[in-house]
Amino acid sequence: MTRMYDEIVAVTENRPLTGGHFLLSLRAPRQAQATRPGQFAMVRLLGRSDVLLRRPMSVYDVSPTTRPPRAAGKRGANAHRQPEILQLLYKIVGRGTRLMAELRPGDSVGLAAPLGHGFFAEEYLEEARRADEVLLVTGGIGIAALLLPARELATAGIKSRLFFGGRTRADLVGVQDFESSVAGITLATEDGSKGHRGYVTEPLANYLERHRGRKFLLMVCGPWGMLRASAELAKRHGHACLVSMENRMGCGLGVCLGCSIRVEGTGHGAYERVCTEGPVFNAEHVIWAREEIPKI
Amino acid sequence: MAAPIAERERTPAGTEFNPQIGVEISGIHFANPVLTASGTFGYGQEFARLIDLNQLGGIVVKGISAEPMEGNPPPRIYETEAGMLNAIGLQNVGARRFVEEKLPFLRGLRTRTIVNVFGYTTEDYVRAIEILNDGSGIDAYELNISCPNTRAGGMVYGNDPRLTAEVVAASKRAARRPLWVKLSPNVTDITELARAAESAGADALTLVNTFVGMAIDIETRTPRVSNVTAGLSGPAIKPVALRMVYQTARAVRVPVIGIGGIASAEDALEFIIAGASAVQIGTANFYAPDTALRVVEGIRAWCRSKRLNLSDVVGSIKIPPSAASPVS
Ligand SMILES: Cc1cc2nc3c(=O)[nH]c(=O)nc-3n(C[C@H](O)[C@H](O)[C@H](O)COP(=O)(O)OP(=O)(O)OC[C@H]3O[C@@H](n4cnc5c(N)ncnc54)[C@H](O)[C@@H]3O)c2cc1C
Ligand SMILES: Cc1cc2nc3c(=O)[nH]c(=O)nc-3n(C[C@H](O)[C@H](O)[C@H](O)COP(=O)(O)O)c2cc1C
Ligand code: FES
Repeated sequence: MTRMYDEIVAVTENRPLTGGHFLLSLRAPRQAQATRPGQFAMVRLLGRSDVLLRRPMSVYDVSPTTRPPRAAGKRGANAHRQPEILQLLYKIVGRGTRLMAELRPGDSVGLAAPLGHGFFAEEYLEEARRADEVLLVTGGIGIAALLLPARELATAGIKSRLFFGGRTRADLVGVQDFESSVAGITLATEDGSKGHRGYVTEPLANYLERHRGRKFLLMVCGPWGMLRASAELAKRHGHACLVSMENRMGCGLGVCLGCSIRVEGTGHGAYERVCTEGPVFNAEHVIWAREEIPKI
Repeated sequence: MAAPIAERERTPAGTEFNPQIGVEISGIHFANPVLTASGTFGYGQEFARLIDLNQLGGIVVKGISAEPMEGNPPPRIYETEAGMLNAIGLQNVGARRFVEEKLPFLRGLRTRTIVNVFGYTTEDYVRAIEILNDGSGIDAYELNISCPNTRAGGMVYGNDPRLTAEVVAASKRAARRPLWVKLSPNVTDITELARAAESAGADALTLVNTFVGMAIDIETRTPRVSNVTAGLSGPAIKPVALRMVYQTARAVRVPVIGIGGIASAEDALEFIIAGASAVQIGTANFYAPDTALRVVEGIRAWCRSKRLNLSDVVGSIKIPPSAASPVS
């Protein structure tokens, strides 16, 4: 297990994006440096007993600073700097995220990170190495879990491609951040305001169909229906598929057992904790039955 | 032993007073009166990377049954105002694996280890205790009696004085260690259950477990938690838990350990003044893992400033003579 740090950290920026999304930057060098792609953080709003539990949030990005320092022009100057800023990309959906949106530079939050097993946990590394191309598949705010994997793949020289769906164009946040890391981007919206009209799993299915014979690895994060549809497509075409699961979390630390989902074939037992054994699971191990779906 | 109050009061003001905050419960000495509550602290190891476990008075581990249990399907938890609902379904590794895999770590700590035990028949409880008796490094058992007895039509042990007495007496006979009994708060008169447990042999009483509650999604008109009903914990339950601890401490002679929504030293001191010899921290571990340690330090600082030892504070509530009856 990598080191995890639980500290009070300062907000450096909380930038509004389209569609009720925000990019929160925190000065958290220790958490930023320890995070691996696909890991998450637990965020605590301080001094509030109405929002008691911490909120799970994927680590979207880590960077040396939010504002380019004086040396920004000289590329080399930043290349060796360790990240100090940890960024979370979130969407307002309830009272916790609504309060997060009110955070201002200089405010503090509690931050426990990094947590969980990400996309490059040891048991998944082999899959990534074997693939000709990695397909990053996501819907809505699931995008937040995929930027660090895209970067890691680019650094390792593994080709990747992004399939990103939303209800409407305002949901498609952060696309430009992926441009330098992926070989191609396919967008979809349910209302047709941008890209393919419909679910993103439709162009994904076409892509898999057109490239039969190639070896893909799917990394998927998004709503449950999308996870299952992607897992089915991967299985039908014989590709490996890693899914980042969501569930309500009481602690994020592995002790409350509130986040367990039914998983098989992993040797840990029938229920596994999304916060500890996950959030990334091999899709083949997840039991996709109706009654086992976390209705969040 | 602590110096008598009269003697301490003669120590000149201004000199550092070092309060005694250790406590003895059921023949076991605790370095301080702060323990972590069952189901909120795993098997201890999960928190080793976060806090110094040796600074805790004790750790009460997740409920253990004779056989492993899977638990309930999701969703198992739901956040409510200043609290949370949980229906985990008592997922646990079973007594044997606990002894083999989890106990060695706990044995290595200086802090006390209390094992929370549950079952669905009286024989289940006894069997779990018999397996645990062989494990070394356990200081006491804490019986969770907020479980339905499948032989008695699902009647919850802790809601019925007769069933409570039955399971406590049988467990006491089996136990080779002190037996604490954790009371369910979902009763009309907690003192009746407290007396039943005491008469049947309980060496200490811990209270409260969670309050049965529920929440509904009005869009889908479905319960928020798969089990339909779930246990409420957290700051929301503190006043009710405190009242129950107060009543129980006056009704029994065995030590009482207070639990329910404790998140600060001030909260803990309220329970201690009401009559609790020690306290347990539950839900607060989830959002502030350092809570128990802050409570220890806060109690110490408060005792120092008041020049009191912990034993002077336990049950020291001052009820004005004109006060109404305790429950009104
Ligand atoms: C591993 C993981 C990573 C996540 N990453 C992100 C991210 O990067 N960006 C983002 O915007 N969201 C992310 N989510 C979802 C995010 O946690 C919820 O949107 C958030 O907790 C909602 O809080 P709220 O108070 O606004 O909503 P409320 O509905 O008021 O919350 C009530 C309770 O339900 C829980 N809850 C509500 N929705 C969810 C959900 N979808 N998943 C889990 N718990 C939920 C809350 O934590 C809280 O305990 C992630 C969830 C998980 C499990
Ligand atoms: C997620 C969760 C799991 C729990 N599991 C157990 C358990 O296994 N056995 C038990 O006796 N109490 C269990 N409890 C009850 C707590 O130990 C404690 O009595 C209760 O939560 C009230 O204290 P709090 O308000 O400080 O949380 C659990 C509580 C929670 C929130
Ligand atoms: S969130 Fe508590 S065990 Fe996973």
